[in-house]
Amino acid sequence: MAFRSHVLVCAGTGCVSGDSFATAKALETEIQKQGLGGEVQVIRTGCQGFCAQGPIVIVQPDGIFYCGVNQKSAAFLVQEHLLKGRPVKNLLYSPPAEEKKSPIPALKDIPFFAKQKLVVLRNRGIIDPERIDDYIAVDGYSALVKAVTEMSPEQVIGEIKRSGLRGRGGGGFPAGIKWETCRHAAKARDVEPVIVCNADEGDPGAFMDRSIIESDPHAVLEGMIIGARAIGCHEGFIYIRHEYPLARERLVKAIEQARDYGFLGKDILHTGMDFDIEIVQGAGAFVCGESTALMASLEGRVGEPRAKYIHTVEYGYQNRPTNLNNVETWANVPLIINRGAEWFSSMGTGEVIENPWNGSSGTKVFSMVGKVNNTGLIEVPMGMTLREIVFDIGGGIPGGRKFKAVQTGGPSGGCLPADLLDMPVDFDSLTSAGSMMGSGGMIVMDDQTCMVEVARYFISFLTEESCGKCVPCREGLRTSLEALNRITQGKGKADDIDLLHEIGAVMQDCCLCALGTSASNPVLSTLQYFKAEFDSHIKDHVCPAGSCKDLIEYVIDPEKCDGCHACVAGCSTKAIMGDVKKQHILDKTLCIKCGACVEMCKREAILKVPRSHAA
Amino acid sequence: MKTIKLKIDGIETTADDRTPVLAIAEKLGIKIPTLCHHPILEPYGVCRICTVEVRSGKRVRMVTACNYPATNGIEVLTNSERVRRDRKLIIEWLMSRCGHVPILEQLAKDYGIVEPRFGRGDDDCILCGLCVRVCSDIVGANVLGFFGRGTIREVSTAYGETSSRCIACGACAYVCPTGAIRIENDSELVRQALPLGPLTPIAIPFMQAVPHKPVIDYDSCIHFKTGECKVCEKVCEVKAIDHKQTDQIEEIEVGAVILTTGFKAADPHAIPEYGYGRFDNVLTGMEFERMNSASGPTGGKILLANNQEPKQVGIIHCVGSRDERHNKYCSRVCCMYALKFAHLIKEKTGAEVYNFYIDMRCFGKGYEEFYHRLLEEGVRFIRGRAASVTDFPLNDKEIGKLVVRVEDTLIGQVRRIPLDMVVLATGLSPAEDAAKLARTFHISCGDGFFMERHPKLAPVSTATDGIFIAGACQGPKDIPDTVAQASAAASLVQSLMSKGEIEVESAISVVDAEKCAGCKICNTLCSLSAISFDEEKKISVINDVLCKGCGTCAAACPSAAITARHFTDEQLFAEIEGALYDVRA
Repeated sequence: MAFRSHVLVCAGTGCVSGDSFATAKALETEIQKQGLGGEVQVIRTGCQGFCAQGPIVIVQPDGIFYCGVNQKSAAFLVQEHLLKGRPVKNLLYSPPAEEKKSPIPALKDIPFFAKQKLVVLRNRGIIDPERIDDYIAVDGYSALVKAVTEMSPEQVIGEIKRSGLRGRGGGGFPAGIKWETCRHAAKARDVEPVIVCNADEGDPGAFMDRSIIESDPHAVLEGMIIGARAIGCHEGFIYIRHEYPLARERLVKAIEQARDYGFLGKDILHTGMDFDIEIVQGAGAFVCGESTALMASLEGRVGEPRAKYIHTVEYGYQNRPTNLNNVETWANVPLIINRGAEWFSSMGTGEVIENPWNGSSGTKVFSMVGKVNNTGLIEVPMGMTLREIVFDIGGGIPGGRKFKAVQTGGPSGGCLPADLLDMPVDFDSLTSAGSMMGSGGMIVMDDQTCMVEVARYFISFLTEESCGKCVPCREGLRTSLEALNRITQGKGKADDIDLLHEIGAVMQDCCLCALGTSASNPVLSTLQYFKAEFDSHIKDHVCPAGSCKDLIEYVIDPEKCDGCHACVAGCSTKAIMGDVKKQHILDKTLCIKCGACVEMCKREAILKVPRSHAA
Repeated sequence: MKTIKLKIDGIETTADDRTPVLAIAEKLGIKIPTLCHHPILEPYGVCRICTVEVRSGKRVRMVTACNYPATNGIEVLTNSERVRRDRKLIIEWLMSRCGHVPILEQLAKDYGIVEPRFGRGDDDCILCGLCVRVCSDIVGANVLGFFGRGTIREVSTAYGETSSRCIACGACAYVCPTGAIRIENDSELVRQALPLGPLTPIAIPFMQAVPHKPVIDYDSCIHFKTGECKVCEKVCEVKAIDHKQTDQIEEIEVGAVILTTGFKAADPHAIPEYGYGRFDNVLTGMEFERMNSASGPTGGKILLANNQEPKQVGIIHCVGSRDERHNKYCSRVCCMYALKFAHLIKEKTGAEVYNFYIDMRCFGKGYEEFYHRLLEEGVRFIRGRAASVTDFPLNDKEIGKLVVRVEDTLIGQVRRIPLDMVVLATGLSPAEDAAKLARTFHISCGDGFFMERHPKLAPVSTATDGIFIAGACQGPKDIPDTVAQASAAASLVQSLMSKGEIEVESAISVVDAEKCAGCKICNTLCSLSAISFDEEKKISVINDVLCKGCGTCAAACPSAAITARHFTDEQLFAEIEGALYDVRA
């Protein structure tokens, strides 16, 4: 039965948290009520990416984008748009930067979407991730058919190699070369190889893999089955973190459906190929995203890395050749097979057909968070500049504040300053700038962000997540954190910066696993680009961003305070005293510097100032 | 295996492909510090102190020598400036956790650290994991593990509780580089197992052992407890160790057997008043002999349990011999070995030596002379059976001493002698299974010692042809007597063999197959097992060679089927009659 119109309701984690299921329910109820049941269908889709604006509803075929649709406005939307054919103006998206708000009705015109290039996320918001038929309707599993019926394993590997696809989990190792090594290692030793999908996405603020699985689980499965065909293996695992229940549930459904349709299990597509996938849950350790630790965890041992002088692609899970790729890498595979290496390598930077190390082809998914207007999930071609990403797609910094830095690569990445905004985003540029691609987290910071605090935050995260197996990581992070704590508390010593440099360098030299060797990146990159901020913390005991609590204090400007008493209500520690219409006093011994009073004060009478040294 | 060329600290060398850099450096005598490494364990690579600089082409990497596989053409720098910087910080980091551990203090000295920048911690575990790995990979007990993540990581047993899986092998304490693990000893057990027994489950039993090869003690070997370990197998270069070997029963056909199964030392536990097992410094003769041996645990030094030399030593004679409660006989050898001990103690330590004896039995050539020599050396002899050994002091002189209470029969007084060490001159008891063995060989056994055929005329033969006895299994005796007896037994066997044939008795019993009812009464009666039962014919059969014609079977046979050859009853009666003929006449 054909429907006149489809209402796509985002059912990604972000929108679900905004109760988009209730929105969908309300839409359906109203559609029934209006007698449109036979004409309009409501579909719950995967993440649309524009999480800041959720819950998101898109009405097709018009391509009208609605944001912040709650239970109440859903009924109105049905009446106005679906019954009367008039888009609901106040639910449309308006760019934040403009003074006079002019809504943009069409999805394709919204800058957040317009500049993106959807490859991995091609099906997001279009299909129902829980229905395999939807995936097949958009050419799903056609790449698998091609790979198993028309191509030899060597041809598949050759295609992936020529596409220049590099590992999206952070390391950027060419996938084709890895597959080939794994295949050869298995052949040479006559051992069954294994393939693993790394869905243990642990970086704070990163949710690319989760969104990919939630919006298009079959793409990941199809990529893995093609990989299994190329490498010649019969067993695959998806190692997914415990904190992703929705993604796991969708994977379980997708695997069941794929088995029913003969894409998984014995005798796939009647070609005699056997391959099946098992889902393994992580127990919540960040370090298990590291390949050797992940495999130890897969085997049921404590998730700790081992020395990697012998690669997991030769001796991995149960000492078998193991090909580990990230969710996003696997999701890229079906399109490369379908549309060819030339098409894929036409996106991105460098000439990669001959040598995948020459550049970064394809697209990259980022989760953009922090002090940026359009937080959410984006996919852009490799080589796009940071400026385009942050200002065009991200819509700039809220409140018109100044851009200060963008942190990429997760906790082990680095902070890049405004000078580098025109740098193209690809594997090699980021690494040479002292950061890394990582799995694709991107945290934007404005001038109110203290870079010492940023470094301290990431080091404290890593200190908690370090497995503690090797000395430099365990003790290096702890001593770094001690130094950074000192600095943010205004007790930094003159030689602390040299010490941090030394610790960072020795950690890069000596740590056991890649998490350790890169763990000093947050410190080293902030020291490289924002040393002045460290200096002012240590020498002047001033936090230029006004964020380190030990270095600031709040005062009431007697000229401006009119004794409205509003701040007294907002202070949870009763640090502000004063009678109505009289000047108020702030007791510094009680103040916990939460800043709540500043928000309450309508006359801007409460000021945040550097702490006086006498105190 | 491919051979590769590489350079370590400028020295060109060759090695097998993918050999760990540390092993190659060690061969060249280049010292690389290690903490978490042990040759019997797989490299772990966590302390990172063995970090070295590896250059291949333009690429410079810092790697851990313990597990970095060398490849062709690499250049290794084990002591470059960068290496020293990295190691120095690692030492400082470790000291911030364990500030007073000797191995780290030495490293700090080597790397010019005066005072570590991150302070000195009070812990003594550097989390190298050696104990955890030896417990799981070698011992297989899996008692120790890591708990907690990151800075709160620690080594512990599961839930921090005493584990029933711990076999107290001490391997963890042995490999611990900082001494963080201590084994709480049960002193009694250790005194038994360590100073006077073999030090390890695999050892050459004693210096003169033949064959001179190590043996594995099944009861204390970790492999036979947990199925793991096999460290000896790993370190044995000629691959001589085979844990799968089991006891084998082999049947060998022989014409003669000499039994030389020896004796068992009398067990002093049976004489509780001497305090053996209760006092560390009460030893048996065998234990003292072991301590006194140059190849023994003390290297031949006579030491107390606290590793001090004794000042006064007592030797109690006749322990388990000439005793109504134990062996009534004299063990013959104790007097002389006690005198030898006395002489050696005097010579080695200069200690005062007391002998508590009933009678001195120094018979034979040179023995009495030796006794007189000791008297001249100043060894003290107290005639009287020692009553007890106690550590309960009655005066200041006795505090911390072992006191022997004894009636000195020569002066007619009860005396208390304070001593540091007491050696029990334990006597000779028969071997435990002597009676069983005697039954196997159909020889007789009195008092637990095998009986010879004739005490004077056939001292090494037995009632059974072809079975001979020699040494202490026949009765307590010393080494010269044993050797003499053994030579005699060997000569008898030789004479049998050189003849090539044996004479059998003609006057033996025979079974009349017609009359035999197959009752088998004779089978069990025959002391020489000469009668067997023919299952096919259902009659008893006599082995002509074994039968000595004693006639017991003939007398017992209810159907008179057995007759003893030579004189028949009729002949005997005729002879009697003949002898009585004149009388009658």
